[in-house]
Amino acid sequence: MNPGLLKLAVVGSRSAYGRLAGIAGGVAAGVCLLLLLWGGANGLSARDDRGSWLRETGRPSVAASPTEDPTTSGPGTPVPLTTDTVLMEANPVEVFRDQLINRRDVAAFSTTTVKIPGIVTPPEPGRYYASPALQRLIASTPRDELGDRFGTFAGTIDDNALPGPDSLIVVTGATEAELRQNGRAVLVSDFTTNPYGGSTAAYNTVLSIGAIAVFFPVLLLISIVTGLGAAQRRERFATLRLIGASPQVVSRIAAVETAVPSLIGALLGVVLAIALRPAAAQIPVNDTRMFTADLVTGWAAAAAIVALVVSASALVAAHRTARAGIGPLGVTRAVHEKTPTKWRIVPLLAGLAAMTSAIAITCTPHLRSPWLEMPLLIGGFALILVGIVVVGPWLTRLVSGMGLRQARSAAGVIAASRIQRTPVATFRSVSGLVIAVFVVSVFAGASSIIESTEAPPARPGLLQPTSLHATVGAGHTPAQVSSAARQARGLPGIRSATIGYGPAALSTRDASPEIYLRAADAPALGFQDIPATEIVTVDTSFLYSWTTQPRALTPAPAANLDEMVPVVIVLGTDGTPEAIDRARTLLNSSGVTAHPAATSRDTGLQSSTRLIQGLAVLAYLGMFVAVAIAGLSLAVSTAAAILDRKRVLGLMRLMGMPVSVLRRIITLEAAVPLLSVLLLSVGLGFLVAWLMVTGINDSYRMTWPAPDYFTALGLSLLLAIGAVTATFSLIRGTTAMTTTRFE
Amino acid sequence: MNANDTVAPILSARGLHHSFGQTEALRGIDLDVHAGEVLAVMGPSGSGKSTLLHCLAGVLVPDGGSVTYRPAGRAPVETSALKEPKRARLRLTDFGFVFQFGQLLPELTAADNVSIPLLLAGTRRPEALRRSRELLERLGLEGLGAKLPGELSGGQAQRVAVARALVTSPAVLFADEPTGSLDSLASENVLTLMLELVREAGTTVVIITHDARTAAYADREVIVRDGAVGASYRVSA
Repeated sequence: MNPGLLKLAVVGSRSAYGRLAGIAGGVAAGVCLLLLLWGGANGLSARDDRGSWLRETGRPSVAASPTEDPTTSGPGTPVPLTTDTVLMEANPVEVFRDQLINRRDVAAFSTTTVKIPGIVTPPEPGRYYASPALQRLIASTPRDELGDRFGTFAGTIDDNALPGPDSLIVVTGATEAELRQNGRAVLVSDFTTNPYGGSTAAYNTVLSIGAIAVFFPVLLLISIVTGLGAAQRRERFATLRLIGASPQVVSRIAAVETAVPSLIGALLGVVLAIALRPAAAQIPVNDTRMFTADLVTGWAAAAAIVALVVSASALVAAHRTARAGIGPLGVTRAVHEKTPTKWRIVPLLAGLAAMTSAIAITCTPHLRSPWLEMPLLIGGFALILVGIVVVGPWLTRLVSGMGLRQARSAAGVIAASRIQRTPVATFRSVSGLVIAVFVVSVFAGASSIIESTEAPPARPGLLQPTSLHATVGAGHTPAQVSSAARQARGLPGIRSATIGYGPAALSTRDASPEIYLRAADAPALGFQDIPATEIVTVDTSFLYSWTTQPRALTPAPAANLDEMVPVVIVLGTDGTPEAIDRARTLLNSSGVTAHPAATSRDTGLQSSTRLIQGLAVLAYLGMFVAVAIAGLSLAVSTAAAILDRKRVLGLMRLMGMPVSVLRRIITLEAAVPLLSVLLLSVGLGFLVAWLMVTGINDSYRMTWPAPDYFTALGLSLLLAIGAVTATFSLIRGTTAMTTTRFE
Repeated sequence: MNANDTVAPILSARGLHHSFGQTEALRGIDLDVHAGEVLAVMGPSGSGKSTLLHCLAGVLVPDGGSVTYRPAGRAPVETSALKEPKRARLRLTDFGFVFQFGQLLPELTAADNVSIPLLLAGTRRPEALRRSRELLERLGLEGLGAKLPGELSGGQAQRVAVARALVTSPAVLFADEPTGSLDSLASENVLTLMLELVREAGTTVVIITHDARTAAYADREVIVRDGAVGASYRVSA
């Protein structure tokens, strides 16, 4: 290709430089986001891999003894600890200031061959290894609120066994006897490297759908910016055709002139991604930021993205130019878009059908197979995204047709006519935002399956939110428990220490469904109607965090607490975080508890909802990225729509059309396609969310979205308004008399 | 002496100066345009013709000098002293414009294109469309109101532009090379129809042209050279 000809095509005027800068800038933003998102996805995976050992469930440390009655089991025989195993107990509720600490208590022979990830040798009893973040927390907190729970510091857990720099993990040493006491310890000979256990397929599906949802708007952005200044380019190419360039040469020039700024932009995007990586790593996901190294994509991936973006934009530019049919006489006649037909709904329906099929398969046990369900779910989701973009112009044209018939103002007629004639181009402007709203609705719908973890309000008959309780392990004497209670009463912020009794420890088969209390202690637990007896009973469910109906005390005239064993200890605090953690530290280090002490709030910090909550954080992060990109796309395409028509709009201004009318035209051209498809996006988003969550697990139930969703929707609309108004100054500048005069 | 010379001109330019950077486009032009006359402004490329038209029409504010517009039944207005919103209003209500090309909104039908100035002036759309179609018919475009500009020939599109310029019944029509992109037959057709309508309505016309045949339709010609009026003479009937 003649370099002189290429130079003429690529640069040649100030507006050409502006267009090139616009393409380069947009591609830079897109590539930067792609690399950060890719890095983020890889980083999350790497992070989960590093933390996989925390999901190790081991094998039982007690072998069940057969009994004559097949419905019961015997007391069980301990499986001996050997040098190729460690005895481990995962503490389910180790909490500090509402932060869950991943605690593993281990007992092992000094000669053990088992390697616990991140530490050299298992800690001896009374010593602990902590993650750096936890150790910093321990060092900066009074020992009676946290440090005393773990013993003596033995060392830090290596980064290669930590999900992130903020992970709170502790491995504490214990004796074999201590761990065997409550029967919950397991034997581990090797730590798992599978981070999701049985949820791998579901997790991968959700991640794939999330990745598609976030990458799609980025690709739209790149597609929009590379189409900048199409009208001027057509004029320039027409001139080249007039002086003898063949359609092939013009297509090649179009490819190169888009490839050059795309390459510059893509390289700039790589540099930006490297520069922004440390900042991106600061975004907390699942309670922890990421290691900056987690976001590194590698040069090969960066080169692949650059090559892909540059070649795709060049090919699309060549294709668009070839399709425009630019002749030697220039663009004397407007090239009209093909009128979108109702057939455009097919991809959307196909996507919905694919997802529905996945649900049908989920509900048909003999057909169930992750290899069938997951591709249908992921493929269906991708098809729906494409389907919205494909059906959008058809819907936009329908609505604008109605609008044109009703239009009364010049702005209405001009905007509706343009949309009517170019529904694909006008819808493209808002497609990013429409997709973002769809994605946000999917995320919000899917996130709504997370149950509320709000603790019930303080009421008489319910365990007070400011108190902690711990069940007492079997075999502990009343004196030991009373001693712990006495110690607790002496701590600042602890208002009461109540011991509940029963015929046998709560963890044993002989446990009573009721807890016996001294009536005098009942007010400290928040009871008001107290029977006039010395001893009272309350149902054990009083202790459960999910109990929302008040429990009543009943008289227990025949009970004699001296003949019973302590089964629970409840500490009432003043509600300050310091007092709660002090009480928790005392109970957990007292050695008398069978389970760690917990408040009614703590349940919300654990259980299976944590995975979903983690995904919800990712979802909202996805929302933010998708909406931000969409706003940028809308601003870029609105600017492009003005630049492409600057001569005719300038002439209208010259003839006396006020700038305010031009603003209204631009606003309407964004508002009509946006509002036409917005409701569909919202509805489809929730439908897809329902299909998705039901497809993954039919026990999930969707509810109303969180307030964050409405905030995100509001933000999207504000962003749309912001993006359009940001171009208002461009309208005034590009249609100014002096500019139009020289066009 | 012409009867027009005894009444105050509808447009008066006095001492017009205008520059684009270092290039001086107008160098102290004095010009009167009389009500109802068709004035052709001729001159070579770069002589300052279009700049003169833009200053007269209130599109550009001259760097020096003044332009006064005297509408019938209203007080004279020094357009060069008005702010852009007021000049824009004046252009919309009192002036009409026809350009060489690219002035029709490509996505609007011919009738809608013509109706836009009326809608901007506050006319209801059904009425605006009725008047547009009427004018299109008078310009020989009956049945083409629903066509898009891209579906019309160059001459037809230019007649649509003329209809749009005249639909508000402007006092002054400014035409910048209105037939510059047309063949001679189409040019003649457009000019004949346009001048028939403006003469019937008593509209003043300022027409910029290179073409002597176009200028021959005018009542008077002025020649602009190097930013100054070189000659002014009446065209013999």
